[in-house]
Amino acid sequence: MQGGDVSPSDPPASLLARIAQGDRDAFSRFYDAFAGLALGLIRRILRDPAAAEEVLQEVFWQIWQEAPRYDPRRGSPEAWLVMRAKTRAIDRLRAMRRREKTFVASVDEAVASAPDLPTENPGVAAERRGLVRSALDGLPEAQRRVVELAFFEGLSQSEIARRLGEPLGTVKTRARLGLERLRSAMRREGERQA
Amino acid sequence: MNRDEIVELAAGYALGALDAEDRARFEALLDADDVEARAALRDFEATVRDVAAETAEAPPPAVKAALMARIDTEHRARDAVTQLQSTVRATAPRRSPWTIVLVGAVAAGIAAIAVGLAVSTVYDRRIDQLGRQQAQLQQELTRQQELVTILQDPATRVVALAGLPAAPDARGRMLWHAKAGGLLVTHGLPPTPEGKAYELWAISGKAAPVPAGVFTVDARGVGSIRVAPVEGGAGPDTFAVTLEPAGGAPAPTGSMYLVGKL
Repeated sequence: MQGGDVSPSDPPASLLARIAQGDRDAFSRFYDAFAGLALGLIRRILRDPAAAEEVLQEVFWQIWQEAPRYDPRRGSPEAWLVMRAKTRAIDRLRAMRRREKTFVASVDEAVASAPDLPTENPGVAAERRGLVRSALDGLPEAQRRVVELAFFEGLSQSEIARRLGEPLGTVKTRARLGLERLRSAMRREGERQA
Repeated sequence: MNRDEIVELAAGYALGALDAEDRARFEALLDADDVEARAALRDFEATVRDVAAETAEAPPPAVKAALMARIDTEHRARDAVTQLQSTVRATAPRRSPWTIVLVGAVAAGIAAIAVGLAVSTVYDRRIDQLGRQQAQLQQELTRQQELVTILQDPATRVVALAGLPAAPDARGRMLWHAKAGGLLVTHGLPPTPEGKAYELWAISGKAAPVPAGVFTVDARGVGSIRVAPVEGGAGPDTFAVTLEPAGGAPAPTGSMYLVGKL
């Protein structure tokens, strides 16, 4: 059962198939290959390093236990992992926010962002680095909001529509246009760097 | 379903943002091996993965060590149960009802120990967490009471601190009371780098800046610090924030991020 001949070049899907059979080494390789990806995303959502590490561990424990349920027709293993990481991180974020909703936090915010000061969009303030950031920043505002609300805040399309006061159809179109633009911007940038 | 609709669903699916009904529709397409749906999804998934990969960072080794230990514990418990089961099978012809009861009891015991270990770890963590939360709440309450006291005093003044070129969008508000000290709240400062902290300075005329405390900011760039009253002299007329080594410096050395005059 402890499969011996896993090589580093094994495609993720076959690693996942071995993990499904309880292969510890395959799990170890899968972790080495993708834990960094997952942690980066979790930290971007949570911003609390200790909580992010806990969530990372939960996510991979879930991978270990649920690998038999992975269905390759429904997406790549990386996407499967990314979705799990995102969902868990957002669950934790929501739990943390519920706890932190104390009076002082809101006073702090109210004082710091009093009306005479220009307020900053927290989505914009969130992260200013690298290729993806510049690709995201390059999106039209309306598309960027939709992508960020979906990806970093975990809202569903109908929740986004309600939040922005836009028709659901518009939100769906913007999600698509946003991702398409993001894809071509990153391709262009990638080619430029190469 | 036309192509546009399929691509739209694929984008929402890759972002993990489809509502239940749309998700079910799209998954039905995937399960039916719809070529267009799968191609569109592959494409968007790659973009989403690139977005996630941009911020990839190496996890601390402890996380993997904990996971592997957890897996090993699970393996051992399972192996022990498997072994017992095969012992039962091997001795099947001769086994008495008592063997079955005994083996069953031992297997149940091992399973219970494994579950017990997992449960006690979870509870230890939870108790720890609750302790930390309680300390945090206590701290918040104290801060809140101080804030209310300062706010109620007519002698309290509000100083706006503006962002400097190091962080032009940063803002700060200082509630300042000559005798009670003050409270500074900042917004929009860049995340505090490892090993650094923001330091507040109280400046009186041409005198050297006096350190008034260090603070860090949270993910939203929100930071706050309770400031003790400044002893003697005319009291400060200017407040400034610089970035310094974590413990703070006796005199400013780093870039200035915020400044405001009383």
